Amino acid sequence: MRMRHDDDRLRALMLAGLAGDGTAHAALLRALLTPLRSFFRRRLGGRDDDVEDLVQETLIAVHQRRATYDPARPLGAWVYAIARYKLIDRYRRSGRTTALDDLPELADEFAFDEASDARSDVDRLLDTIPEKQAAVLRATRLEGLSTAEAAERLGIGESDVKVSAHRGLKALAARVKDGWR
Amino acid sequence: MNSEDLIASLSLDIQPVPRHALRRRLGLGLVAGGLVTLAVVGIWLGVRPDLMPAMHGFTFWLKWTYTISLAICATAAASRLARPDGRVGGWLWLMVLPVLGLAVIAGLEMAATPSAGWLAMWLGASWRVCSRNVFLLALPIFVGLLWSYRRLAPTQLALAGATAGMAAGAWGATLYCLHCPETSALFVLTWYTLGMLGAALVGRVLGPRLLRW
Repeated sequence: MRMRHDDDRLRALMLAGLAGDGTAHAALLRALLTPLRSFFRRRLGGRDDDVEDLVQETLIAVHQRRATYDPARPLGAWVYAIARYKLIDRYRRSGRTTALDDLPELADEFAFDEASDARSDVDRLLDTIPEKQAAVLRATRLEGLSTAEAAERLGIGESDVKVSAHRGLKALAARVKDGWR
Repeated sequence: MNSEDLIASLSLDIQPVPRHALRRRLGLGLVAGGLVTLAVVGIWLGVRPDLMPAMHGFTFWLKWTYTISLAICATAAASRLARPDGRVGGWLWLMVLPVLGLAVIAGLEMAATPSAGWLAMWLGASWRVCSRNVFLLALPIFVGLLWSYRRLAPTQLALAGATAGMAAGAWGATLYCLHCPETSALFVLTWYTLGMLGAALVGRVLGPRLLRW
């Protein structure tokens, strides 16, 4: 229900922007920042420069190609499709193809849905534990990399990955038990 | 540049977007390319001298029904693929119908012709140039559609390219009918279709390179 509400609100901004209202257009782009950041962050594993690059590329595309939005359809699906395309394009340019298979098929809702609310909860929770542990957990638990892959990506040893993951999970469990919210 | 500044600069000068901007853009590319193709037919190939009487006959309309129905399906699919979240739906599958329909008519035609005449019916007088001409006439329209796509947002680039190529091929074939005097359904089914598929193949190959944004 929350997502419906959000999509309707953002859709109204979009329609006003399409009618020539610059303030509404800016408000829409600003409202997209958070869902876009969390969308790219959980797929790029916390490389913040890349995340912000992709966020900006997506915003520019949303702006330049807004004529391709069909007002009869949910706005989230449209933004999501653009973000997903930008991510795939980035992978292609860097010569990585394997990760494409991991991308979910076109969802009908974008990050305004409950899953992403849960995701951003996870993101916030991960921010409370040491950086290395959070990075290891993002790589192994959220992105599903193997221990070896995560070790290579993060430039640390495999045993370090295992230890960090173990400590990270313990720390998270403690936070949750402490009534984190 | 930080994202806040970017948003501010993007929102500075907002022009209203007309309601059917996407269709208009595609239509413009299609018509511009079509006019070039039409001029090529008129100047290079020449309109068939018996066009007016032919337009009262069955075969002329059979050919047009075939090429135009394919063109409409492919154009509808291409317009859906111009949106990032667009799906072709059934439009590409629908193209099976005109092909099957023409195949049935070609079968009836063959049944009514002694088998000694089949080869002549199949090759007509222009089989050597027909597919090539359809393909060449598709190119200006294909370029027009690529121009349209440059401001749109296709995300399935190979499919969008192939579909645009098919639409260009089918519209090109439609205009080629103004020149081509062939009358057999078997001829059209083979050589016209081959030319259109050639254009679709080129679109399939070029799409991922040319349609990126």
